[in-house]
Amino acid sequence: MKRTEDLTTQAGPRTGRAGAIREVAPLALLAMENLTKVYRDPMTLKPFTAVDGISLSLARGEIFGLLGPNGAGKTTTIKIVLGLARATSGVVLLEGRDPSDPAARRRLGYLPENPCFYDHLTPEEYLDLVGSLFGIRRDVRRRRAGELLERLGLGSHARKPLRKFSKGMTQRLGLAQALINQPNLLVLDEPMSGLDPIGRAEVKQLLRDERERGTTVLLSSHVLAETESICDRVGILSSGRLIDVGSVPGLLSTGVREWEIAAESLPESLSARFRSAGHRVERVGPRWVVRVTDGQALQEAIAAMTRETVFIHSVEPRRQTLEDHFMRALAAAAGPKP
Amino acid sequence: MSRVLAIARTTLLEVVRERMVLTLALFGVGLVGASQVLSPLALGEGRKVVTDFGLAGSSMLATLLGVFLGSSLLHKELDRRTIYAVMAKPIRRSEFLLGKFAGLWATTAFLLVGMTAIVFLLLLVVYHQAPWVILGSMALSLAELLVIVAIVVLFSSFTTPALAAFFAIATVVAGHFAEDLHYFGLQGSALLSAVTGGVYWLLPHLDLFNARGLVVHGLAVDPARIGFASAYAGLYAAAALTAASAIFERREFR
Repeated sequence: MKRTEDLTTQAGPRTGRAGAIREVAPLALLAMENLTKVYRDPMTLKPFTAVDGISLSLARGEIFGLLGPNGAGKTTTIKIVLGLARATSGVVLLEGRDPSDPAARRRLGYLPENPCFYDHLTPEEYLDLVGSLFGIRRDVRRRRAGELLERLGLGSHARKPLRKFSKGMTQRLGLAQALINQPNLLVLDEPMSGLDPIGRAEVKQLLRDERERGTTVLLSSHVLAETESICDRVGILSSGRLIDVGSVPGLLSTGVREWEIAAESLPESLSARFRSAGHRVERVGPRWVVRVTDGQALQEAIAAMTRETVFIHSVEPRRQTLEDHFMRALAAAAGPKP
Repeated sequence: MSRVLAIARTTLLEVVRERMVLTLALFGVGLVGASQVLSPLALGEGRKVVTDFGLAGSSMLATLLGVFLGSSLLHKELDRRTIYAVMAKPIRRSEFLLGKFAGLWATTAFLLVGMTAIVFLLLLVVYHQAPWVILGSMALSLAELLVIVAIVVLFSSFTTPALAAFFAIATVVAGHFAEDLHYFGLQGSALLSAVTGGVYWLLPHLDLFNARGLVVHGLAVDPARIGFASAYAGLYAAAALTAASAIFERREFR
């Protein structure tokens, strides 16, 4: 694990003691080191640890999914990253700066969970406000606002008061306001919330486009299937602790649950042998399917079928989904049941 | 500065579009109308009644608008969570607070100017006099609103809307009696004198902004008084906003 001082490492080569050039790690776009947040009950002063020693680093151009059940600390972590809450201990750096420094947020886009905007404004006016907070020139922010509203399907609603917006339309406006400054880091808290299937597909495409542009995306989500299809890496939070982190293929590669061997026909004797060895055998339509749970058993089953000249139609690994991994990680973190 | 103005403009638009100003402006018109009804009872002093009643009503309504809108100024942002998206932008909390203050002051100032204009027109049309002297009183009331709105913003930075409104009204009322409090302290023991002396300096000296006694008699307000009162209002508002910023800076958004 990196130490805290590593977080301040600057991008590019650095001259060493003897004037030699030495390689240093490129600056992480977002780095957290041993991040901890403890709240105290205002009445009893009893401490509650919402975030417990999270260390994480996000590289440029990756989509990182922060997963976890309700109350796991996802939103608190995001609030600390944005400077909306202060860490009790630990370090967060946004492109090398403390998030409380407004300059750190110049190239940051943020979509809050269940966003709520000034409902007396129109989308055009709201994006104009956001653009001026970023210090974007009026002509540029108007052009970008128009483009984003079109891109997110709100072009025909540009002058409609936000109080008349549906949840899905508000979510789309939330994405528009998060993108108006062409961010380097996009922080999205439950971006799929309130969207219909078409909207979700559009948002996924939008995130892929942003990744192509080099934007780093940090998103929190409960929709694990969609997270799996879009994230390069995920981190699983439980009770404020980061209990697992890695690339989606990496987390799931070790997770082949079983192999399915589909055969045209299966002699009764062979079927009985497989069953006695603990494999599951069942007829699915015109074919027989044998399910084995480890590689050695797979080799032996295929060899036995070959000896009996059984026509093997297909052999397919059944991998675990991110949801399977998520549930197992949470169960492991919770420990054995008493 | 552009960020402060952007927040101020949004705050002003909110009040205007929620038609609260319209409601209060109608109330103001009603108040001026009432003064017209009362003026015949004053036996030839109708002009004075209209001036006094109109200016006092305008100032009171603008103050009430400032207190009631300002007391929920930050609470509403936190409650509706509109502040989350805004504070994730490159804006300092002090800039946000200053923008809110400026927007609220502009709202109350528009209301005050509008109602003073109604009083002016009424005096012009009914009594055939252009009462330019009331502009001096209006200038003082605008400065007074700087102080009152800053006090409301200060209270709203750390407490609930109901308590913020209560504290603000209490401060405004006490501020009109600051001089009396000071003299009362001087009559008592050394300890009482020290305590009331401290409170006297802490309270806003709102009597400084009340020139209606001069204006109803057709006397102009000394420009030096307007200058001094404006400087005092600016300094007092700056101190209150600095304290509010310091509190708001430490506030956690949960």
